[in-house]
Amino acid sequence: MKKIALVGVVAGLGLLVACQPAAQQAKAESKKEGSTAKKLSKHEKFKIALSNQDKFQKACSNPVQLVPEGIDIETFKKEMLKTVKFPEGGVVGKNVARGEKLFGDPKKGGKSRRGNCYACHCGDPNIIACGNIGPSLRGYGKRGIDPKDTYIRIYNSWAINPCSVMPRLGYHGVLKPEEIADIVAYMHDPNSPLNK
Amino acid sequence: MKKRTLFASAILAGGAVLGTAAVAQEQLPTHLKELLELGMHPGHSFVDEGREMFHKPGPNGKSCASCHGQDGKKLEGAYAKMPRYYKDIGKVADIDTRILACMTKYMGYDKNDKKFMKQFNKWSGPYRVPLASYVASLSNGQTINVQLNHPEEKRMYKLGEKLWFQRVGARDFSCGICHTVLEGKRIRLQGLPNPVKEKVYGHWPAYRFGSDRMWTMEDRVRSCYKAYFLYIKQWDEKKDWVKKPPPYSEWVIALELYMKKASNGATVEVPGLLR
Repeated sequence: MKKIALVGVVAGLGLLVACQPAAQQAKAESKKEGSTAKKLSKHEKFKIALSNQDKFQKACSNPVQLVPEGIDIETFKKEMLKTVKFPEGGVVGKNVARGEKLFGDPKKGGKSRRGNCYACHCGDPNIIACGNIGPSLRGYGKRGIDPKDTYIRIYNSWAINPCSVMPRLGYHGVLKPEEIADIVAYMHDPNSPLNK
Repeated sequence: MKKRTLFASAILAGGAVLGTAAVAQEQLPTHLKELLELGMHPGHSFVDEGREMFHKPGPNGKSCASCHGQDGKKLEGAYAKMPRYYKDIGKVADIDTRILACMTKYMGYDKNDKKFMKQFNKWSGPYRVPLASYVASLSNGQTINVQLNHPEEKRMYKLGEKLWFQRVGARDFSCGICHTVLEGKRIRLQGLPNPVKEKVYGHWPAYRFGSDRMWTMEDRVRSCYKAYFLYIKQWDEKKDWVKKPPPYSEWVIALELYMKKASNGATVEVPGLLR
């Protein structure tokens, strides 16, 4: 409801919209789709962006940061697991080269660095500029981990570790299911520099 | 201006080489300390530029010095108590906001003049960053002492604390994730300081070699939000990415207040020098 009202503001109808029937709001929304974003002030935009916090993020917003508050951990995991969407071709993709780029090359993964695993993890021994936030992924493919678990962890790390520092890359659509599958392929490929 | 660029790039050439060697040290690394001892601090030219601007009359003939005294005599120690509530503008202001308010309220600059605002907001502009650097430097050697006396200050502090831990955006980040939970770790090779615990506020505004710019805390906080991947409807890096909170907004000032209060007791040493 809040969201609809906000989009109403976007449509330039201001507060009036809040008093209109829902159907009309929806109409206004679809009509102005596309051009809406430009009409919001920077202030409104940021306010909406903050209000987009989901209930799981909210549960993780306590000073401990890594333990959910108000949601039982098992329920949390189950609900997160439900959000995981699997690609049609299976969890191990075919394009290992793309997986490598997404894993390690911020520029080729998009200027926003949406893959960029090296920010937190080490992997290819040739890449020394790697973070120490997450565990090292050297030899990952030799650990006998089920590729499906790897896929879930990348898609929605909170299905395994509630409130983990690791972003839920698939859940938010930062990475597409097919892209995650390619990263999984790269991580499990015996010829990958990770596993040599 | 020209002097500054030349000077900065000369230092940068040396700094870049040294910078790669000194990984993961957010607190002043040795090579930067050495530069300081040699008196080679690119940030100082920003302070000098700010001093000139401080004495330059605005459109109505008044300069900053008209009210605050020659060489900012009356502003000594002011920065150590900021952000704080100001009666004349009716809100809690950080240094950037305070300067903008002074210029538009008392010096005849026009807030609705887009050209002026663009120049003011600009990182390399003649107003905001140099003036903030200069005014902050007037408190050098003083102890940071931010108090929450006014109800607005209390409210803003609470908001800052909430924002600090608020996990949001397509990356599930909060300030606290990187700067509380992961303090001391590295993102790639960049060390993560804990501004709340380590009282790092004393050396902001700071000159950063990496960007060859002087940063106010306003710039720092706003740029941090870029990493959050905030969005309106659905995360999309090309179509739907809310990169930064608006300048001089409550969110930014609240976080500054939260961090600076935590730095109470630290000594102001401005401008800072960072990689």
